[in-house]
Parts: sequence; C-alpha cells; structure tokens
Amino acid sequence: MRYVVVVADMKVGKKEDSIVTYALGSCLGLTVYDPVAQVGGMLHAMLPLSKINPQKAKANPFMFVDTGVPKLFKEVYRMGGQKARLVVKAAGCGQPLGKNEMFKIGDRNYTILKKLLWKNGILLNAKDIGGTGGRTVYFDLSTGRTIISSKGLESEL
Amino acid sequence: MKQTKLLNILAKVKSFPSMPEAAAKLLKLLDNPDATAAQIEQILRYDAGLTANLLKLTNSVYFGLPCKVGSVTQAVVLLGWKKLIQLVMASCVNAVMGKPVPGYDLPAGELWRHSIAVSVAAEGLAKELKVSASEEIFTAALLHDVGKLVLGGFVKEDLEKIETEASRGISFEVAEHMVLGTDHTEVGAQILKNWSFPPALVNAVRWHHDPDSAGKTDTLVDIVHVANILCLMIGIGVGREGLCYKPSPLATKRLGLRTNDLEMVASWTLQYVDDLCDVFGS
Ligand SMILES: [Fe+2]
Ligand SMILES: [Fe+2]
Repeated sequence: MRYVVVVADMKVGKKEDSIVTYALGSCLGLTVYDPVAQVGGMLHAMLPLSKINPQKAKANPFMFVDTGVPKLFKEVYRMGGQKARLVVKAAGCGQPLGKNEMFKIGDRNYTILKKLLWKNGILLNAKDIGGTGGRTVYFDLSTGRTIISSKGLESEL
Repeated sequence: MKQTKLLNILAKVKSFPSMPEAAAKLLKLLDNPDATAAQIEQILRYDAGLTANLLKLTNSVYFGLPCKVGSVTQAVVLLGWKKLIQLVMASCVNAVMGKPVPGYDLPAGELWRHSIAVSVAAEGLAKELKVSASEEIFTAALLHDVGKLVLGGFVKEDLEKIETEASRGISFEVAEHMVLGTDHTEVGAQILKNWSFPPALVNAVRWHHDPDSAGKTDTLVDIVHVANILCLMIGIGVGREGLCYKPSPLATKRLGLRTNDLEMVASWTLQYVDDLCDVFGS
C-alpha cells in the first residue's frame, strides 16, 4: 500500500508499504520505524499545543504535536514496534524570512517534539529542520529509508 | 534582454482570459446601492451551472446556515447580497485558478486550494481580531496570486537565476522582480485592472507581499498578507519557493496580531478549506 499523509494526519504501515507527505511548511513531519518488525508510521502535525483548540484536538489529535506524537508511537507499538528498536526522524518546522516571533510556529513545533521525546527517553536519529524550503517526505517501510525532496533536490535523511 | 522579457510578460497579461460575463455584470452591481435580489437573479438565470455552484457553496458547512437554501432569492436574504456576489466570483474563477502552475511547481488544483484557504483564513483573522474589513476580503484573498498563472511560465524559464537571488535571503517576489522586471503581484494587479475590478481589490493583490508600500495603510491588505503566509506555513499551496516570503512586522502590529490568534485561525482553516473545495469537486 502507498499511503498519503495530509496535513493534520497520521498513517502507519508495514513491510512493502510506503508513506508520503507533501508540502511541509512549518508543520512537523515525524517518522518512526522498527527495522526488525519492519513497521512504522508518519505524522504530519500543524501546531505545537492542543490547548489552543481542545475541541479540534479531540476530533483530530494529529493536528497538534503534543497530542499527535504520543498517538503515533502508540500506533507503531500496536503494530508490533518495540521502543528500544525505534528509529525516529523529524523533518519540516520551517519558517518564513525575518525574525518575527509570531511566525515561529515551526520552531515551537520542534521544541515541543524535543520535550516530548526527552521526557520519554527517546532519541532523534536524524532531522532536517527549519529554513524556508517546503519539504516532501517519502518513507519506505521495507527499508526504513526516508527521502526528503526540497526545492527540486532529493536527499536521504 | 530584461526589457524583451517584460514585454513578453505584458503581452501574456493582455491575452489572459477576460472575466466571465456574469461576474463582470455582478461586480458592477456591487457599486450600486439600489441593487436588488431580483437583479442578481436575473443575471444568474442564464447560467444554470453557476447558479447550481452558488447554491452548493451557500449550503456548505462554512456558512453554517440554519436551513437548506434552494433559491438565489433565499440566499440573498440569508447571506446578504454582497457576500453572495463574492461567492459568485469564486464560482467564476474556479476554472482558471484550478490550473497547474509551472515555475512555482503547483499541481492542478493546488493554487485553487491555496486561494480558498487564504480567503477562509483572512475572514477568520478579521473575526478573531475583531477588525472590520470590507466584504471584498474573500475575493481579494481568492485572487491574490492570480498573477502566478501568467508569470509561472516565465519563472520556470529563469528559475535558476531567481533562486540564486532568493537564496541570498530576499523574498521570492523581490527576486522575481530582479530577474524578470516584474513580479506576480504586479502582474496580478494588472489582470484585475483589465477586468475592471474595484481599486481596493487591485490594491490588495498588488501589495499582498509588501503591505507597507501600499501608499496608505489598509486593513484589507494587511489581513490578506498575514493570511497568505499562514496558509503557506500550514502547507496549503506551498510551492517550489517554500516559505521564502517575509511577513511585515508593521502589518502584524497594525492588526494587533498575537501568536494565539494565528494558531487559532490555523486550527479552524483546514476543515473549512476541505469543505469548500468539496463543493467544486476538487
Ligand atoms: Fe503571492
Ligand atoms: Fe499566496
């Protein structure tokens, strides 16, 4: 299966599946993969904290980093993933030009992610974070390979 | 060289499709204080497709009307005729705005989705900030990037040069201007002028990336400016140039914008965009 993760969305899959998300701006794209069980998932979260709109968070926890990330891990565990083996990669969290604090939603998304991971003793294995580039993320669940395409260039994360 | 390019671009602007007739007629009504629902109905009567789209739009969740609307007259009563005309405009430009855009690498339908998103976010911001912006806000936001449709092909040809300029930390439309002699805001404003659109709309399109240069400050321009960047940030209509645009600190100050407002509006925008785009089956 080839899954597409839209904004404020999450998908999990197993060997022979692939997951893609397009157009990460300041949103966080997070992939989690267990190379032994060959299962994994991807989250595309838009805003850092669910307290801004609890009603929305209830309807769709994947809109927010603080509610979406735990759910992603839970789903990967449910598929047979084990915490000690997980490979975690983050992409996105970009921001427009200038230093305007108000528009640093990407920055805040990343900060909340780091806090969550740290609290749970999980390390980030790779990241491609910040800057003005939009990003598309391809995630191959047979190999765990994560390819990022930005400004017409592809690179492995 | 740059001169020839500019002439080519201007020629393309001239040959850009004209405004659909029904929309042009309705737009004239906007300036007429004596306009009636009957007149609007009269114009729409000859365009069944348009009327059908209009009623679907009116009944979308976005407007939250208490009952199903079955006629133009009823829609006028419930939404007000100014709002209704904005919706007709949306139906009219749907076909043009749905095309794929080269240069910015937007697939078919994505500029339309972006345009709808900026309209929803702009109206959301106006509400959240309790500022009064004209009824034209929806249409201004809807058409802010119309210039990309003409300029895209030219951006594609000179993409390397434009990206080199932009990589030095300047806004993408400034880089467009350096290389092509114009940018998508100027081109868009010219298209709307050719369509005889009201000056306030032309102005909002012209300055949506640089509201501080708009001569006199205008809430409409400031709102479209912020709404546009917000929609790019949340990934709706992010093209090749990504977030390579600069939010104006003065505009956010004028609006009294806070982080919370931005995030709040973002959290509501997504669903309404999907809802409105469904109406058009895209
Ligand atoms: Fe623009
Ligand atoms: Fe835009």
